[in-house]
Amino acid sequence: MTNSERNRLKDKAFQVFGIFCTFIGLVVLGIFLIDIIIEGSRRLDWDFLTSLPSRRASRAGILTAWVGTLWILVLTTLIALPLGVAAGLYLEEYGRKGRWANFLEINIANLAGVPSIIYGLLGLEIFVRQMRLGSSLLAGALTLSLLILPIIIVTTREAIKAVPRSIRDGSYALGASKWQTVWNQVLPASFGSILTGIILALSRAVGETAPLIVIGALAYVPFTPSSPLDEFTVLPIQIFNWTSRPQAAFLENAAAAIIALLVITFLLNGIAVYLRNRQQRKIKW
Amino acid sequence: MSKKNDKLEALDLNAYYGDFHALKGINIVMEEKAVTAFIGPSGCGKSTFLRTFNRMNDYIDGFRVDGQILLDGRDIYQKDVRVDELRKEVGMVFQKPNPFPKSIFENVVYGLKIQGIKKKSVLEEAAEQSLRHAALWEEVKDKLDKSALALSGGQQQRLCIARALAISPSVLLMDEPASALDPISTAKIEELIYDLKNDYTIVIVTHNMQQAGRVSDHTAFFYMGELVEYNKTKTMFTSPKEERTQNYITGRFG
Repeated sequence: MTNSERNRLKDKAFQVFGIFCTFIGLVVLGIFLIDIIIEGSRRLDWDFLTSLPSRRASRAGILTAWVGTLWILVLTTLIALPLGVAAGLYLEEYGRKGRWANFLEINIANLAGVPSIIYGLLGLEIFVRQMRLGSSLLAGALTLSLLILPIIIVTTREAIKAVPRSIRDGSYALGASKWQTVWNQVLPASFGSILTGIILALSRAVGETAPLIVIGALAYVPFTPSSPLDEFTVLPIQIFNWTSRPQAAFLENAAAAIIALLVITFLLNGIAVYLRNRQQRKIKW
Repeated sequence: MSKKNDKLEALDLNAYYGDFHALKGINIVMEEKAVTAFIGPSGCGKSTFLRTFNRMNDYIDGFRVDGQILLDGRDIYQKDVRVDELRKEVGMVFQKPNPFPKSIFENVVYGLKIQGIKKKSVLEEAAEQSLRHAALWEEVKDKLDKSALALSGGQQQRLCIARALAISPSVLLMDEPASALDPISTAKIEELIYDLKNDYTIVIVTHNMQQAGRVSDHTAFFYMGELVEYNKTKTMFTSPKEERTQNYITGRFG
């Protein structure tokens, strides 16, 4: 075998290996989806979406759970978006680069890797107990905001970094202040990417169970929350609760709830992809 | 012929990037409503020098200057000088056209809006006037609300010039304004510079010796952070005093 033949063989081998690896992930995901859909689709109907929870599997629905999830989504966005974007802006545009900035940067990256249950414990102490918010939607949203803040800060910084120096220079050269430049040029040019990052962070928050269980979100909430200070449940907790029951009928319910949760996640990711594509079409540097 | 006023002046100007001594004791006086060209090999400090006139280097970490830069006799590095006010007086056009990702109209009136001018009639009038001044009006008058990024490179650069003119500066700094453009667009920019000098004091950095010869009244040759020679462009190109200048303009180095 000549050298070039051997190289070509290696090339081919790696290609096959790569395809194999890709398929492992896809096949597992595919099997999971098919299984869930087969099991859950029988249960998934309008009644299921609009019914309150019940001890009887056939009458139980996920109304409180998905309404709770939407509440959490909106509240978390309202809290985490301004905080995260402002922090990212400060670090990238205003903060001086130096040892202090490096220290902050490393620690924000570290925070993104802290297990979510730790955030739950933090939320329990600060929001539920110290701030006396109880096991409310607001306490849950604040906890999840802490959880996704590092992600939002990092994506905001990346998005801002991608705005070319020349745009800033152009703005400064016309007499714009730093804030005017940020507000009129940097933010509009990077907002698509920032939003994409935020939505991806939110789709992670939507699936979080552990921190919300820790702060005391309940699986059985007999009514839909009507204010941020109400007790609540969310889809993942409802799913967790149903899957831990012995009756097969509840497992069916869980599968149906999983489909609902997946639809929400896919929707969020879909919006993120759409925004990213639109952004890429609109602005070419 | 009446002697023109001195518009821009540098007195014993030194500039540093950290430990690097980028500009060494520069002294120069530039006349009003004339074109001065800065030439010299890459890294000789000519762009750094250009950017001291509107203090664009202020944002670079570790950059500092000593000495004075005078605009109409006033030191622009004094503490009480507001940079935004200075930049209304001293406009700048960059090497690569850098239109904002907004409409043509929004690009031209950006500087005015920044100043808080909102009245539509004022903005529209200023936009037309600046675009006419930059010889772009006829090409874009029907598509002012279209994205500036859809224009050709040469049009974009003229838009950037119009944008700079809209806030009525008296000085226009141009950092190799035609180096990213094709020959036809370059010719248009040069023609424009020739027209603009009736109303503005222009300082242009260029790598193109012929361009310096065509558009400028005075030429300054920089080498390794020093101002080697400064003279009338004609004199400079026909009988340079310094050997280094002669070597550079005849293409022996740089």
